[in-house]
Amino acid sequence: MISVDTFLFVLASGVLLGGLYALMATGLAVVWTTLGVFNFAHGVFVALGAYIAWQVTQSVTGSVGYLLGAALSVVLMFGVGFVLHYVLVKPFERNANLVLLAVITTLAAASIIENGILLVWGARDKQIAPPISGTVGLMGAEISANDVMILMVALLALLVLAIFLRRTAMGRAMRAVAQNREAAELMGLNVSRLYAMTIGLSAATAALAGVFIGSVRFISPTFGSDPLMKSLIVVILGGVARFTSPILAAFIVGIAESFSVYFLGLYWAPAVLFAMMIAVLLIKPEGLFGHRSKTL
Amino acid sequence: MKYAPPFQCTNGFLPVLVAFIALALIPLFLTETYARHTLILVFVYAILASNWDISLGLGGIVNFAHLAFFAIGLYSFGIFGKVLGIDPWIALLLSPLLAVAFAALLAIPILRLEGIYVILVTIAAAQLLLQIVVSQSDYTGGTSGMVLLPRLEIFGYKLSKDNRIGYYYLALALLTFSTFFLYKLQRSSLGRAIKALRDNKYYAIARGVSEGRLRLYTLCASALFPGLAGGFYGAYLRVASPDVFGLGFLTITLSILLLGGLSTIWGSLIAAFVITILAQVLGDYGAWRSIIIALVIIAVVVVYPGGLFAAVQEGWGAFNRFRTDARASWRRSRGADMRKAVMGARDRLVETRHGKISVCESGQGDEAILFIHGNSSCKEVFRHQFAEFGKDHRVVAFDLPGHGVSPNADPEEDYSIEAYSEIACDIVEKLGLGKPIVFGWSLGGYVALEYAARGYPSSAVAICGTSPVGKFPEDMPRGYIATPHMELAGKRFHSPHEKANYAAHTIGMEKGGEPLVWQAVWRTDGLAREQAFSKLKTCNWPRQVRMLKDGKIPFAMINGPKDPFINHEYCRTFGYGNIWGGEPQNVAEAGHAPFLEDHETFNRMLRDFLTWTKGPARAD
Amino acid sequence: MSEALLELRDLSGGYPPVSVFRGVSMSVGEQESVGLFGPNGHGKTTLLKTVAGLIDPWEGDVVFQGRRLNAEGKMRPRISRNFNYDLFQKRRIRAATVVEAGVIYVMQGNLLFPEMTVEEVLGVAPLAAKGRSGVREMRERVHHLFPRLQERRFSKIRYLSGGERQMVSIAVGLLALPKLLILDEPTLGLSPKLRLELMQAVRQIRESRVPLIIVDQNIEFLSGLVDRLLLFDHGAITREIDAASMPSHDEAMAMMFGESH
Repeated sequence: MISVDTFLFVLASGVLLGGLYALMATGLAVVWTTLGVFNFAHGVFVALGAYIAWQVTQSVTGSVGYLLGAALSVVLMFGVGFVLHYVLVKPFERNANLVLLAVITTLAAASIIENGILLVWGARDKQIAPPISGTVGLMGAEISANDVMILMVALLALLVLAIFLRRTAMGRAMRAVAQNREAAELMGLNVSRLYAMTIGLSAATAALAGVFIGSVRFISPTFGSDPLMKSLIVVILGGVARFTSPILAAFIVGIAESFSVYFLGLYWAPAVLFAMMIAVLLIKPEGLFGHRSKTL
Repeated sequence: MKYAPPFQCTNGFLPVLVAFIALALIPLFLTETYARHTLILVFVYAILASNWDISLGLGGIVNFAHLAFFAIGLYSFGIFGKVLGIDPWIALLLSPLLAVAFAALLAIPILRLEGIYVILVTIAAAQLLLQIVVSQSDYTGGTSGMVLLPRLEIFGYKLSKDNRIGYYYLALALLTFSTFFLYKLQRSSLGRAIKALRDNKYYAIARGVSEGRLRLYTLCASALFPGLAGGFYGAYLRVASPDVFGLGFLTITLSILLLGGLSTIWGSLIAAFVITILAQVLGDYGAWRSIIIALVIIAVVVVYPGGLFAAVQEGWGAFNRFRTDARASWRRSRGADMRKAVMGARDRLVETRHGKISVCESGQGDEAILFIHGNSSCKEVFRHQFAEFGKDHRVVAFDLPGHGVSPNADPEEDYSIEAYSEIACDIVEKLGLGKPIVFGWSLGGYVALEYAARGYPSSAVAICGTSPVGKFPEDMPRGYIATPHMELAGKRFHSPHEKANYAAHTIGMEKGGEPLVWQAVWRTDGLAREQAFSKLKTCNWPRQVRMLKDGKIPFAMINGPKDPFINHEYCRTFGYGNIWGGEPQNVAEAGHAPFLEDHETFNRMLRDFLTWTKGPARAD
Repeated sequence: MSEALLELRDLSGGYPPVSVFRGVSMSVGEQESVGLFGPNGHGKTTLLKTVAGLIDPWEGDVVFQGRRLNAEGKMRPRISRNFNYDLFQKRRIRAATVVEAGVIYVMQGNLLFPEMTVEEVLGVAPLAAKGRSGVREMRERVHHLFPRLQERRFSKIRYLSGGERQMVSIAVGLLALPKLLILDEPTLGLSPKLRLELMQAVRQIRESRVPLIIVDQNIEFLSGLVDRLLLFDHGAITREIDAASMPSHDEAMAMMFGESH
């Protein structure tokens, strides 16, 4: 039915997808747990991040350009996320309807950024040149070295984020704000700035994911919506009880996607994932891994 | 009891009628196809947005699969009409059924979910549907969609002929039906249950509302007309493409709903014109169009979340405040002689801590009586008492702020029972009334009680048409009989019909009423009604009850047995420390305003009470 | 009484449009401890939250060490309820300013940060002290006051008992190096044993001359602790009693509600 080679290849591409999804979904989950808001602009953060890096690689070629592009993209997107908090979420942080209002404003922001990209870079598909070429052999299956690098760096980035949140004063303050806003205010923490930093961090991880995706797929102004949907699925599936919950779920989704594409075809794979998501929401709305609590 | 007058008796009737007639006549002047096409799109978007309001605004279910209802209507028209070859009219009628069926299906997963989870499931459901549509390209045309759908004809007359006049009227008819349906739904018991579930879920459930069933009904109701509109859209454009699942379509509809304002039917209808025409005008600018629309959404949500309809209402409110104040100042000068003829004395403005108040003083004597009128009334209702008691008392009455010929006042500071009692205190002091006997009618009764409870100078208190309240709000339904009047009493905007009703009922008439009272209702600042009622909850009711129970101030209650509002049994058994006659007294055959309806009997009784307060018998 | 440390001048506030407390004036002197006693639901906590900067005051001033912590003037009434006023109206008082000044409010029944460990929480707490010196000594004191927290330093807050949570809350307050500590019902809903332990700790804090405002339902506890007792009912301070003439619980209730309450 399926050869070992093919199986390994499908599995490997699933794991790669999982790494990318983990990067995006963690960004989404961090914002959700901290602000209690789902950021529907997360997808266009991915796209914008990719375009910024692409622009840099146009003028600086080679792996230097790639590194420079990735770094610039991450830093710029942190700034974009930071600023957007003050525009999209802060104006009604005291409103009881915050969840709905934030969905609406982030959707609108997504539309603005998406069309902005269209105006600046046009509708033509683009691709970021992979920094390294060649393949790596894994038990007989040939896997692209770029993919392995992406997976490693993605996991490393997540590790750095986790250490930042657990070990540094700033990270702990961000977690404190996420868990009890009032008590954090009473400790003199600047809640708005910490919120803004959270969205900034999330945008930065999205940008990194965008750079990676841009080097394995084509980028277009609308290409953020697919990663957004996938990260939604991942966050729902895994829940946000722990920092690792969305990461584990990301690998499950990535592998499931890659196998259903192989067996069921390109059109049915998303349907399978959405069906999975609805099923999880029905049976265990808090996600596969965890209890009913939100944390980082 | 919920007050729900028929539509033709409300303030909305006239504008809606005018708008409908205008829309029906417009195509006679507007003959270009493009203009009519834009209006047809307006109608379709209006149907979509206003029906979305059933789930989003009325029901509080954040259903992001709303446009999937439309898409289902569209595709089922395409499949029935083109693939299966059914008569297009029947296909059109079938499309809403499928949309409702999908809504019922969608209701199952979100029966017990909350907040963000509902958003996520509905988004996932819409995406799932999109994936299915795209994957079944044999039937749906896949990503490129279906073309050349059947067109609608009536006896061989193509609706698209004569510059699409047929489609125009069909769309207008759909919008009219949809709006009628929404209006009826909102006022039905189902609509009220949906709203109750949104506002106070656990209370509603405890009162026997089934959450799951109601969510099902809410979603199904919101799917009906969008499904039909989807079918219509397919027949009109003759194309069904998966674009309708896209973000652009969603954003436009959502912006219409938000710009119009949630929980209103009319808001999204108005906003549909603004946004759709804006979108058409900006049509040539491609990406800029989406950016501008998104900016509009953010601006509205961030700055003015109430939306257009709220703006219209605020404008209407400002106009009303201006109108009532202008009317008061005009009548202050013009009607002075007429009022003098009625009251026996000219009124004048007295400065109080809550602004200028029109006061009328007459008669002479050692003792003073202060009369306080009720909600949406005026001091002239006490004219018979002025004539009778003016002989041997100083009689004083004043117009509450926002009432009669007193000017309008600050809604936050000056329209409450507490503020009214402070005004009474200031008047007593300015006019040197000493320790007056205070008589209050209806809302004025509470003012009189508050006045006495605060220890302001008084020698006796009498009230009429008022149920004392110990605990708020528990005692309100006990002390009053639920009638539409209660709703009107705290309502800001009255339609002409409601004003006439209100004026008649307060003085015990079936209809008509007397011009003075009727004019007073027209003049009253709507905010005075609304604020005084909403601030009932901040009043210190226990203090009033303590005052009534400890009986240091002689007290009388003179009601009409036919008073349709107060619960006489409740008033009788409330428990008073020192009440004249041992219990509330009745003026036979009178209603809510005995001092006006049967003034001779009333005056006799009030005089008896005054004698009693001076006599030795008062100690019992 | 020495010169006033904290002074409330005609403070009014609430949750618009409901006014909760009106015209509250009080002051706390250097090294003074003031008790606030009154029935539940009459606005004590709302008042203290306003002082702490969580809720905007409507009118009046909060003055600490001669410096006004709130913005000048009255809160403007909302003309339209459709505008998003959070956008146009600046906060009239901010928790950060209050904390920076050194007024630390310890909320009642505080969950704090349920998913952080005791150690992490106590590690974040000195952020409020904004680099002032003395955190190290205070940490020693806190260890000494609440040895129990040392044992449980690796537990998450949500696994602690109510009393232990309260201890963490007070410890967090102390680590902010308060110039004035506000304790809101520190012994609410605790078991008798823990209650005694906490009361003991509060007494020790008092002995270290930290100025206190303390709310409690136990008037005997307050009597031994405070220099002055303020009776608070119906959103206002109705009576001030000095240490010499502390009433019993029933007497205090009678003062507020008359004989038949």
